Amino acid sequence: MAFHWAAIPRFIPQLLAGAQLTLLITLVAMLIGIVIGVAMAAGRVSRFRLLRMLAGLYVEFVRNTPALLQIFILFFGMPSLGLRMSATTAGSIALGLNAGAYLAEIFRAGLAGVPPGSREAAVALAFNRLQTLVYITAPLAMRAAWPAFCNLFISILLASSLLSAISVYELTGITNDISTKTFLTFEVYSVAALFYVVLNVGVSLLLALAGRLLFPPQSR
Amino acid sequence: MNFSLVWEARWLILDSFVVTLYLSASAVVGGTVVGMIVALLRQFGLRPLNLLLRAYVELFRGTPLLMQLFFIYFGLPLVNVSVDRFWAAFIALTCFTSAYVAEVFRSGIEAIPRGQSEAATALGMGFFHRFFWIIAPQALRVSLPPLIGVYVSVIKDTSLATVVGYNELTRRAMELMLRFGHPLEFFITVALLYFAICYPISKLSERLERKLTPSAR
Repeated sequence: MAFHWAAIPRFIPQLLAGAQLTLLITLVAMLIGIVIGVAMAAGRVSRFRLLRMLAGLYVEFVRNTPALLQIFILFFGMPSLGLRMSATTAGSIALGLNAGAYLAEIFRAGLAGVPPGSREAAVALAFNRLQTLVYITAPLAMRAAWPAFCNLFISILLASSLLSAISVYELTGITNDISTKTFLTFEVYSVAALFYVVLNVGVSLLLALAGRLLFPPQSR
Repeated sequence: MNFSLVWEARWLILDSFVVTLYLSASAVVGGTVVGMIVALLRQFGLRPLNLLLRAYVELFRGTPLLMQLFFIYFGLPLVNVSVDRFWAAFIALTCFTSAYVAEVFRSGIEAIPRGQSEAATALGMGFFHRFFWIIAPQALRVSLPPLIGVYVSVIKDTSLATVVGYNELTRRAMELMLRFGHPLEFFITVALLYFAICYPISKLSERLERKLTPSAR
């Protein structure tokens, strides 16, 4: 078979627009995810049994069902409860809800990793509960959770491709569209895969940089 | 909420549940075998080979599974390899999973103290003897919990085969919804079925992890 690479540059602007939407969806989903993740992590270590149970149920249900199905539930299922959203909105929220469950576990593990000595030191210095959390526990937990947070960020970036299944024209959606219209399947998918790799590497580098700034390596 | 339609369609749903299990099992076996081979080949320490294998792992971990699936389903026929829906899903899932499995094994192998390998060399063992009798069994033990975690992802990821029209559980829910309406009922039922297999396996992975690393508690 013959390849027609020369036809590809024409579609670059469309692919770039798709990549932009992919990034936007990822960012929105991660923001929603952080809010839910913090709430659920707090719920899971709460003093109230009911809160612990509800948060646990949420986390386990989301983590043990396919993300695609969660997107379908929000996009196709919510209108029957009277909640109608555009595909992009529904998809971003679904991804955010998904990220929230994983982030809850990441934050919880981060909290669990804070050595009890540092909390005891805060008590000895007469910090109250809020001060201990804000100045001592949270920063230490965030530092410990950062690598896992970065990994999840990349997972969500890749998972945003699932939104093409509800016809959102992000990078994968655009690629499918171009492919079915032009039959340049091989060429266009290769270029899109390259786009994903670039997005991936770019986001990873930015996150690594942010990590260095937020959590400078400690001198011992 | 009206689940009577779901009950009427129960055999259709169960039928595709079996299809999902079949695809999951195939992909787990395929992904593990290929992933083990990749991890083994990386042990030889040949530079060009390592570069190639790293590119393989990074490529399949760095691009969305959905895109790989489309690429294989629509792309392979162009080079005169005909793939049906099962094979497209199987090949894509196998490649994707093998990249993760290879990484799990690699970190498992790296977790084994160097002294083990050095002691085996001192006893006059060759590469194969050393790898298969000393390193691999210990690495396998360390790798087991994350490996099972990967398998849970595989079960969930089989849902992506929907997009190429393979009639697994998610696809069946979609078709039932398009025919009878009631999207929430069908999707939630199917979600519970996924949960029913994934949850126990996740718990098993967590339990093994606690058992194998007593220091973490």
